[in-house]
Amino acid sequence: MGENYEVIGKSVPRIDGVAKATGRAKYTGDLKFPNMLVGKILHSPHAHARILNIDTSEAEKLPGVKAVITHRDVPSTKYGLSPARWDETIFCIDKVRFVGDKVAAVAAVDEETAYKALKLIKVDYEVLPAVFDPYEALKEGAPQIFEEYPGNINTEIHQHFGDVDKAFAEAYHVRRDFFSGQRTYHSPLEPHVSIAFWEGPKVTVYSSNQSVHYLQYHLARVFGMPMGNVRVLKTHVGGGFGGKLDPTGLDFAAVKLSQITGRPVKMLYDRKEMFYNNRGRHAQYMELTTGVTKEGKILGVHANFVMDGGAYTGLGVASAYYAGALLTVLYDFDNYKFDMIRAVTNLPGCGAQRGHGQPQPRFAFESHLDHIAEDLGIDPLEIRIINARKPKTVTINDFKVDSYALKEALEKAREISGWREKKGKLPPGRGIGVGNGGFVSGAGYPCYRTDLPQAVAIIKVHDDGSMATLYTGAVEIGQGSDTVLLQMAAEAMGYPLEKMRIVAGDTDLATHDFGAYASRQTLMSGWAVKKAGEEVKNKILQTAAEMMLVVPEQLDVKQGVVFLKAHPEESLTFEEVARTYFVKYGQLIGQGSYKPPKLGGTFKGAAVGTSPAYSAATQVAEVEIDEETGEIKVIEAWDVHDCGMVINPALLHGQVHGAFYMGMGESIWEEVLFDEKGDVANGNLAEYRMPTALDMPPVTSELVDSIDPNAPWGVKEVGEGATTPTMACLANAIYDAMGVRIESLPLTYEKVWRALKEKREKEKA
Amino acid sequence: MYLPDFEYYAPATLSEACELLEKLGPGAKVIAGGTDILSKMKQELLFPKAIVSLKYLSGLSEIRLESNNDVIIGAKATHNSLIDSPVLQEKYPSLCNAAHQMANNQVRNIGTVGGNIVNAVPSADLPPLLIALGAKIKLVGTNGERVLPLEDFFTGPNESIIKQDEILTEFIISEQSLTGSTYIKFALRRSGALAVASVAVAVAMEGNTCRKARIVLGAVAPIPLRAKKAEEMLTGKEITDELLEEAGSVASAESKPISDIRGSAEYRRDLVRVLTRRALRKAINEGHV
Amino acid sequence: MQKIEDRSETKYYLITLKVNGDSYTRAVKANTLLVNFLREELDLTGTKKGCELGDCGSCTVLLDGKPVNSCLVLALEAEGHEITTIEGLSQNDKLDKLQEAFVENAAIQCGYCTPGMIMSAKALLTRNPHPTEGEVREAIAGNLCRCTGYVNIVKAIMSAAEEQQ
Repeated sequence: MGENYEVIGKSVPRIDGVAKATGRAKYTGDLKFPNMLVGKILHSPHAHARILNIDTSEAEKLPGVKAVITHRDVPSTKYGLSPARWDETIFCIDKVRFVGDKVAAVAAVDEETAYKALKLIKVDYEVLPAVFDPYEALKEGAPQIFEEYPGNINTEIHQHFGDVDKAFAEAYHVRRDFFSGQRTYHSPLEPHVSIAFWEGPKVTVYSSNQSVHYLQYHLARVFGMPMGNVRVLKTHVGGGFGGKLDPTGLDFAAVKLSQITGRPVKMLYDRKEMFYNNRGRHAQYMELTTGVTKEGKILGVHANFVMDGGAYTGLGVASAYYAGALLTVLYDFDNYKFDMIRAVTNLPGCGAQRGHGQPQPRFAFESHLDHIAEDLGIDPLEIRIINARKPKTVTINDFKVDSYALKEALEKAREISGWREKKGKLPPGRGIGVGNGGFVSGAGYPCYRTDLPQAVAIIKVHDDGSMATLYTGAVEIGQGSDTVLLQMAAEAMGYPLEKMRIVAGDTDLATHDFGAYASRQTLMSGWAVKKAGEEVKNKILQTAAEMMLVVPEQLDVKQGVVFLKAHPEESLTFEEVARTYFVKYGQLIGQGSYKPPKLGGTFKGAAVGTSPAYSAATQVAEVEIDEETGEIKVIEAWDVHDCGMVINPALLHGQVHGAFYMGMGESIWEEVLFDEKGDVANGNLAEYRMPTALDMPPVTSELVDSIDPNAPWGVKEVGEGATTPTMACLANAIYDAMGVRIESLPLTYEKVWRALKEKREKEKA
Repeated sequence: MYLPDFEYYAPATLSEACELLEKLGPGAKVIAGGTDILSKMKQELLFPKAIVSLKYLSGLSEIRLESNNDVIIGAKATHNSLIDSPVLQEKYPSLCNAAHQMANNQVRNIGTVGGNIVNAVPSADLPPLLIALGAKIKLVGTNGERVLPLEDFFTGPNESIIKQDEILTEFIISEQSLTGSTYIKFALRRSGALAVASVAVAVAMEGNTCRKARIVLGAVAPIPLRAKKAEEMLTGKEITDELLEEAGSVASAESKPISDIRGSAEYRRDLVRVLTRRALRKAINEGHV
Repeated sequence: MQKIEDRSETKYYLITLKVNGDSYTRAVKANTLLVNFLREELDLTGTKKGCELGDCGSCTVLLDGKPVNSCLVLALEAEGHEITTIEGLSQNDKLDKLQEAFVENAAIQCGYCTPGMIMSAKALLTRNPHPTEGEVREAIAGNLCRCTGYVNIVKAIMSAAEEQQ
């Protein structure tokens, strides 16, 4: 990558590694405060019912119970992560809308008493007919779940760019396929926890959360408090993947219960309750029609989708837009139509999960593209090269794509996977498949309408220059942002990484930042950090110039040494310069702020999918199928990523491994299932089957050179993009192995078995 | 999640334990490893008022070979101690392999063979093979002990003939004529997954002639199910691939699976066909594996 | 094990557990799980609660050197056994080889599975100092990790084993 960097581009161990390896790292659930109570939420046993009466008197009488609250005790202000549809209240008021909906909460001296108190709350329900399938929900006469969504239509999108009908008319070949994707759940290992306590008019909330800012914003808004009186912070977070972005019932209930009792209240979800809180991946039903030339060039695409949103919206409107918006990025075509209906149903509400809205459309499109390649007699990898977007282009829906090395990623994946030697040449039962993906490097616009910057960072150098602290609102949830941002700060300052500390994710003590979602922190928080570091560097050079009687332009600073560029032996230490600055001018501080330029077009929904930079990824995987049982063994996988400049290669490859892992789990094993009452049927980690170490194949993660001009040092995202190619990659490998196409996720053993059985029966007939 | 409270007893002797169970009545349950009972209690599937622990009862964890060549497995033996047992590795490595397919390492370190049987879960991994091997069990109660074939123990999902005052103390495998046995489990993940269908077989071969065959199906009926028609059609026959295929089909027809979140009845039936054929071939060719 | 009753007739049992080499005596209710005893009574919060049903391995501790899920063990049943938690692995701020290997090999992301994962690995290496990759995967198959795909975890355990040589 040409440049010679001191701190970035290096695989330094993560700064929280030792704390986590020794068990010293405190997660929210590990915290204890004096006099702390434990709270629990009462969840609805019915999928759809009117609340006739709630009697909390028996629960209140139980010794050790300190407070019981229902909708009568809290604001009825509606909320949701995206203001497009605020439709959720802290507790249900008139009716419950899914099994697991929030009805009441208790605070008690210990967990056992809290659980016992829940059983003593008497709720009279009038059970209403419920609907669990989006197509059923959209039918005339279906039970109406929300007054504000007639016909159970939560979101309807119709976008048309260019002229798809004309493109189809001119195409050599037009193909239509139908696919579906299942509900999945993030399943972070750490359950959600929230602890709240009050001091005068101010509440402090420790939450296992991906965005301290959004939680602060929503708590302040719903409780009618100034944001300054709501302090949200987090300690170590045990994984998020999108599932800890929305405010939860725990946060609201903890705030209220701690206010009433005057004591700290800790609330946590158990594993099944996490499935109720959900915000996981929507089920999607995807019809795709594509017209191509004889040579395989895509002329136009029509995406016609239906999405099951579950009961509440959260960020679901954005999920619906994302599903179609990013289909235009990977391959270059001029005509595109996107129709989407997001229906509400009586199931837990869906939201953003790794790759937000688009992994399933990618599954659909990449499977569809393999069919088209076969129809035309073109190699599947080749048809992707033919259509791969070029850098410095603009998509038909107005996304500006500057760096883009999808073609290079495809070519490299072809080499390292041995594609040419394997495709069509593997022994029976074995197959190889390819899939492409990618993602935004931060959403161009925040979740709610505001003119706030995306990120602010402050670096404070200690008085004697012996240490520096980075203050950022970026949220470390395991992805490594604390380490990466410190590397960036040290690089920008010319300071050694070992002397850097971080204060992050605290609305009082750190700075503003929208947090960990949409793969935004390396680019967006990184911009703010880089600018803050450069401001420190400029002040150091200025002061050193005064001390050395030269002009700042003659100086540079690296790894804590300020030196004359022409005579590097003439130098001062950063420490002594910083100390001089402190004596002469006061605290040595650098501040940086980042706000992207105006991005995207002007049509309805144009903001979703905009980003300063787009990643691209190719995955190839090899599978082995047991032709009698349908069992799938993933043998090996290769990922080639265009993720711009890499700040920490070890952490980056770790993201790819994890993204493939999650994608593979969602491809074959994971699915949230419901019983006939609409209750989660597999809300545990035995039946919601994330792959074990024995299921995981070797993964090779490689990169292609790419530097994005809109990013600090040219960085781009990696953590979500690498989940998006996997589902199709595996579906295409199964097709290659057995000649059967599984069109619905997950690609279960039973579906493969059934498809093979039907194929044999057809061949016999 | 929380564990409802209960009274806890840790008697020092077996007879004391049986008396306690009788005295406390149906609200009292036995805890050995605890992995199954505690998870059921946390999920509010079981509400015992009292728990009688076997922790101080000595001599129930042993796995030994008697002078008459009987293999004795103490009911408190953990799954991992089965895997590590030199006696089983020598006599019935198939049992080591079956134990290995159960849950995960942590559960196998504490979950006991006795618990795996008494819980009577239809998808349990050890009952099919133990039945195929002709294992007998010893139940000790306040009125003495009884020994009966394990096959006669189960009466339905989570149900068995065990009486309130009885404790399962050991397994006895005394049949000497068997030449091969194996257990094949089909699950939806390589660890920590219950069987969708499983098949255990034990055979006594003489050359290529099958003198005796036992086929036991797991997770496809309310209890571990002997596929007796399939066994019969093999007995006394020369083994061919066609015959094994047919045995698979017959066993498949004998199975009584239900559809649930792990698989449809139709899928399970077909799995029985495939697994039965594969298991027979393996036991015939490779011995106790 | 002494039984005590309070005024509301709730029964407590006086037990002594040996954890990381030290003995701790506490009065607990029968329904106290080992994981809660460690976390609440002894403040050993390195042992995590993930699924509470023995499916994820986050709460793995060693009982007489063998990994078990402390969410499925009664504190009462643990009496008389030696318990080792993640806090018992490093001595005087000196990390165990495995802990070092996890840090060096980028085997940690969110870190929530890490203590349990290391305890499973520790038991493996004690019993089998030179495991194959398959044996490593087998030993940690009861420890779910949502972040890493196990790639660097397996690498870290193998490298700690090599270093032992």
